[in-house]
Amino acid sequence: MTLVAGLRAASYGIPFQPVAGVHGSELARINGWKTIVDPYGSGSEVYVIPAVHPDIAVIHAAEIDDEGNARVYGSPFWDHPLTRAAKRVLVTAEKRVATDRLREQPELTLVPGFMVEAAAIVPQGAWPGSMHPYYDIDYPAVERYMEDRPGVLESHLADAPEIAAPR
Amino acid sequence: MDWTPFSFIVIHLARQIRAGEISFSGVNSTLPMLACLLAKRACDFDFTWINVAGGVEPQPVKVPLSSSDPAIVHGSPAIFANQDFYDLCARGGLDLVFLGCAQIDAEGRTNVSAIGSWENPKVRLPGGGGAAVMLPTAKRVVTWRNDHTPRALVDKLDFITASGHMTALVTPLAVFEREPRAGARFHLARFNPAVTVADIAARTGFSFDATAAKPATPASARELDALAALDAGGRFSAAIDG
Repeated sequence: MTLVAGLRAASYGIPFQPVAGVHGSELARINGWKTIVDPYGSGSEVYVIPAVHPDIAVIHAAEIDDEGNARVYGSPFWDHPLTRAAKRVLVTAEKRVATDRLREQPELTLVPGFMVEAAAIVPQGAWPGSMHPYYDIDYPAVERYMEDRPGVLESHLADAPEIAAPR
Repeated sequence: MDWTPFSFIVIHLARQIRAGEISFSGVNSTLPMLACLLAKRACDFDFTWINVAGGVEPQPVKVPLSSSDPAIVHGSPAIFANQDFYDLCARGGLDLVFLGCAQIDAEGRTNVSAIGSWENPKVRLPGGGGAAVMLPTAKRVVTWRNDHTPRALVDKLDFITASGHMTALVTPLAVFEREPRAGARFHLARFNPAVTVADIAARTGFSFDATAAKPATPASARELDALAALDAGGRFSAAIDG
């Protein structure tokens, strides 16, 4: 939430963002967060979080056209503040679609193409996570990845269904 | 019936949910997710359940292992994503939030940042995930532990990640409650009749008032039926009860 406040500051083009809460948390001390008193006189003291400017945001979308317009179904999670705060936006997507399809329901486009620097079509790209509405979380793959033994990362990378998938 | 750790925690988390309220369950919160699903089945009153996957009053056809699985958005008439539910909490619109803890103290402050010192930790924990904002801004926050040990229920936290409106702590043995105001301490409200108050005190790192403590009300048939349906095949309880 404080991270999002930093991303919002960046996306709003301002140096910091007030945020609710944080009082009584040692996160303020270790991060050096400061408070300001409401300049309009309510007396309340609010933490302000410095802007966070990611160099690159990488998001995974459902569909993308040749212009980079990217559609997401279901919850966008943090994609909106991330893509607005970052200096550059890269998109991977499950499917390549015609722009006319996106014109039918433009409100489903999460990132317009003018913001997208580069894109790749990567079916199964969210694996072993889920991608609504195409596939669910691959729980056995997550459990294998969490095993504490040598070679786990290598075998996880070797599974790579996103490379084997037809496109 | 005898309580199991799983049944005690989930049913007592569900009993924290109140009529007409908006309740929220987050990431890495499988037991609160089950508590919300259980309350939907076992309570006569209405409440609004929203979750970290973006679901608003979902109608899930399957119960996922992960509390952030999009399966708990299925059937939602709206998507209420991360920015929305955090902002709702910040402006005082979330009545009940379930937040996890690695350590908790008598004033309901939580540590999910580090065991040992922050600068030189023994264990680096995943972090608050918004807890520093949600604990002081939600009207009530409820937490839980799958174990009941003085390592987790401590007199002094290694690090204070969040502080605020904690009102209940549920473990396999006990339900502690406190008023959501600065300085208020947990008191023992309910205990698992398999143990005594003295047993609980011996396993709790902070001191607490037990004068109002009562044995847990037995689970109702509806609670048990709902829990059995959600836990078909023991897919959730096996991880808690062993």
